[in-house]
Amino acid sequence: MLAAVAALSDDVARVALDLPLRANLSAVDNIALIPLYQGHYSAAESGVRAQALLEQLGHSDIALLRDPDMTPAQRFVAKLARALILKRPRLVIDRPGAMLYDVPYPDFIRQLAAQAEMTGTWEVYDFSWNQVLYNQALQKE
Amino acid sequence: MNFLATSIESLGAKIAGWFTVGYGMFAFLAQAMLLLLERTTWNRATFDVVIKQVYFTAVQILHVFLGYALVISWLIISIILSTARDFGLTEFASEMTIRVLVLELLPFLTALFIALRSGSAINTEVALMQVNNELDALAHCKVPPMQFEFMPRLIGGVISVITLAGLAGLLALLMGYLAIYGLNAAGFEPFTQTIAKIFDFRIVAGLIVKCALFGLAVTLIPVTAGIETPKKLFMVPVSVLRGMMRVFFAIVAIEVVSLALKYI
Repeated sequence: MLAAVAALSDDVARVALDLPLRANLSAVDNIALIPLYQGHYSAAESGVRAQALLEQLGHSDIALLRDPDMTPAQRFVAKLARALILKRPRLVIDRPGAMLYDVPYPDFIRQLAAQAEMTGTWEVYDFSWNQVLYNQALQKE
Repeated sequence: MNFLATSIESLGAKIAGWFTVGYGMFAFLAQAMLLLLERTTWNRATFDVVIKQVYFTAVQILHVFLGYALVISWLIISIILSTARDFGLTEFASEMTIRVLVLELLPFLTALFIALRSGSAINTEVALMQVNNELDALAHCKVPPMQFEFMPRLIGGVISVITLAGLAGLLALLMGYLAIYGLNAAGFEPFTQTIAKIFDFRIVAGLIVKCALFGLAVTLIPVTAGIETPKKLFMVPVSVLRGMMRVFFAIVAIEVVSLALKYI
């Protein structure tokens, strides 16, 4: 599984433990880097876009927090927003259990996906022994 | 015999290591220089980071640095003046002050100051970025680390050392004048003549080149040392130690070469 995730092509946006946020930047600055460098928007406009995405995910309160000051769930949301703003056709969440150890994560990811209203597909790669967690979340629905 | 072979092997490995490090640094510098020439590099994002770097490296510490330059200049000028008076060489005091302080000591101390304050911070930050995979994450997001993280630091270092050394030099000239002539305007003409005599084009160009090299040394070496760090947290202090030793030797080497070119 790890090799398969590592070999993903450039059209995939990954959310993974091994792709951390820039520690000395706030959540909003981490996200704003993408439109700043790829979209060539101004710093102010990039910040507005990043803030809007955090609001869309229901976590605008983490905008000014830096990586060490965030809870695992907040960190995950910041990473997810960074991946979403890349606007790649596929989004892969790589072993969410390693990042989201403070929340029941299948439910958490499902809620975020509902809020994000994102085009494209979200794929979750996880260990087979965690399948039961996803089953439980599905049964609740 | 075995001992001799081991010693030769170890020496060879060390020399090969030095060459590898040197090659890595120059290759990195060449890459940064080539990027500087590309139009796409000069986007708003990179420009903003350069401004931030200059602010953190030079503006933020300006008051502390000027205070430090003031004290050092005052002490050195007092020593030069008192020695010149003892030997009856007062007429050479202003020239000696300018040559010792403005051309040599202040740029050297400025480079050391920036190296200790910003160079060590850059080395640590880049090493941590390397260890924590932050550089890989930036690459995944197609945010070029060279343009976003490294080049602004190099440019910021060069601009900061040149401007801080220039400001310290101006302060030292003012202090020198006050120490030699006091608040009397009568000394203005001979003093400015001495300045004009010393600061010919070759000396000014040499001073700027020397400060630019100092600026590169205090940023380029820490950045490359940080990138070289193996992905193990306990290697970060080792990386900073190595980087700062290299910075020290580079600063001393630049100063020695500059003195040799000027006076030998």
